[in-house]
Amino acid sequence: MTWLPDLADGDTGLDRVFGLRPDLYDAFRAFYALFWTDQLLDPIVLELCRLRVAQLLGCATEQQVRYAPSRDAGLTESQIAALPRWPDDTRFSEAQRAALAFAEQFVLDPHGVDDELRDAVIDHFELAGLTALCEALALFDGFCRFRTVLAVDGPTAPTLVPGPTPDGALA
Amino acid sequence: MTPRHPIGGDVLGTQPDALAAFDRLYGLLWSHGIVDHTAKELARLRNARITDCGY
Repeated sequence: MTWLPDLADGDTGLDRVFGLRPDLYDAFRAFYALFWTDQLLDPIVLELCRLRVAQLLGCATEQQVRYAPSRDAGLTESQIAALPRWPDDTRFSEAQRAALAFAEQFVLDPHGVDDELRDAVIDHFELAGLTALCEALALFDGFCRFRTVLAVDGPTAPTLVPGPTPDGALA
Repeated sequence: MTPRHPIGGDVLGTQPDALAAFDRLYGLLWSHGIVDHTAKELARLRNARITDCGY
């Protein structure tokens, strides 16, 4: 339960907290939604990286959110459950492995992102994909911290929500 | 003369729509709000120092 004394109206915990600054929330949603609406990255790769960042940062509520585009593209709960063990699990493709290895290093120590990690992502997603991945990771990392510090309420069990849209609620 | 975008010429320029959306969010953060800009700038620079970001 968030410790904030005042909350905005809204359907979700994030709506009620971030809605305290509606202008910033609008601009944030427009930026965040772009990764899904414009398909800047494969939705499964995006979802796996979002969830892995949440695991590394211990953000329990973010780990329960499931965005529909990844489910529609074929991501299963079984693969999500295997995410902490992705290096040893054959269900993860080479492209997903490249993105996850990069994502983990991005969160744990960005100075440790080396040519090998960068080149692996570029091989699968080109330079524009690497850019999109870095931007997405910065958002995921930052907003796990935002949720944690402000104790934003969120789902306590896996919850499927529509893909982020510029004017839709974020779970 | 139109000023050159400070970061648009590098790798971020490969995702122009994302860069534009980022600009709107970041610009809003710096042009509005109730936290004074000195405090924001100090927090930004302190964050850069803690994460050892030389840029």
